[in-house]
Amino acid sequence: MSAPHAEQVTSALPHEPEKATLEGRNKVLAFWLFLGGESVLFGTLFATFLALREQIADGPSADELFKLPTVAAATFILLVSSLTSVFAIQAMHKGNRKSLSLWLIVTVILGLGFLGLEIYEFAEYVNHEKFGMTTSAFSSAFYTLVGFHGAHVLFGVVWISLLIGQLAKKGLTVVTAPKIYVSAMYWHFIDVVWVFIFTVVYLLGKVG
Amino acid sequence: MSEHNTNQGSAVRHRHRTEGPQKHVIAFIFSIVLTLIAFAAVAAGGVNASFTIILLVVMAVLQVLVQLGYWMHLKDKGHMIPILFMAFGFFVAGTAVITALYWVWW
Repeated sequence: MSAPHAEQVTSALPHEPEKATLEGRNKVLAFWLFLGGESVLFGTLFATFLALREQIADGPSADELFKLPTVAAATFILLVSSLTSVFAIQAMHKGNRKSLSLWLIVTVILGLGFLGLEIYEFAEYVNHEKFGMTTSAFSSAFYTLVGFHGAHVLFGVVWISLLIGQLAKKGLTVVTAPKIYVSAMYWHFIDVVWVFIFTVVYLLGKVG
Repeated sequence: MSEHNTNQGSAVRHRHRTEGPQKHVIAFIFSIVLTLIAFAAVAAGGVNASFTIILLVVMAVLQVLVQLGYWMHLKDKGHMIPILFMAFGFFVAGTAVITALYWVWW
């Protein structure tokens, strides 16, 4: 597969525009290395949480605190948003910029919905359950791990929003395509981390 | 993988490598089912706790494999280096978790 010449970029987009140039392929490869590093980062936060999750001091325990319906709602929102970002990439592979932008917008909205739920959840804990950052080792580990994931969602929402803007301005080219592809990888990875969070933090917290 | 990539300079959109949404919708439904099983096992309660924990971990691992494999295309050809990156990341993450648990519980 050879890289297309610049003048072909606007006329006929290669089938997988994110891998049409060496730069694009390098971005995707390097992003996998980044995700490997992110796995280590979240791994250490999970390790801390697992080690400290029963040190509740005077605060509430996981079983008293967590409400499964909220967690289930957040889980399904994030799962659906992962599917919509798959649809975005499929639209990109068909060269359909409008549909691509639309699916990215849906993904961002779902991401915002997830963030809203998480902010609501944290606010409930702090205001009504007396469960703050410094309440116990469990609460510190919980807010650090889940909050770090939430910060990743926020970053992803801002990133994809900026890409939607760039897409409108510069169009779908072999330059913009790798950026969109990589942001979709990031979004899937956020979902993968959430799978571990709802399992290890919330469900295991309920089981004991 | 198709044998001919003849899309250079041609306005015709070749779609022989375009995958339909079906595969991803199936992966999505599979993820939903795995999630439902995990939540249902906990919501139902009463079941043996250690059995539930094993079930939860298996559901999570399966779902992560589905998402990495299908949605992030790790099961496709030419992904050996990304798999290596991720496997090494997960190895170090797993080591951190096991070490922390070992320190605290034994």
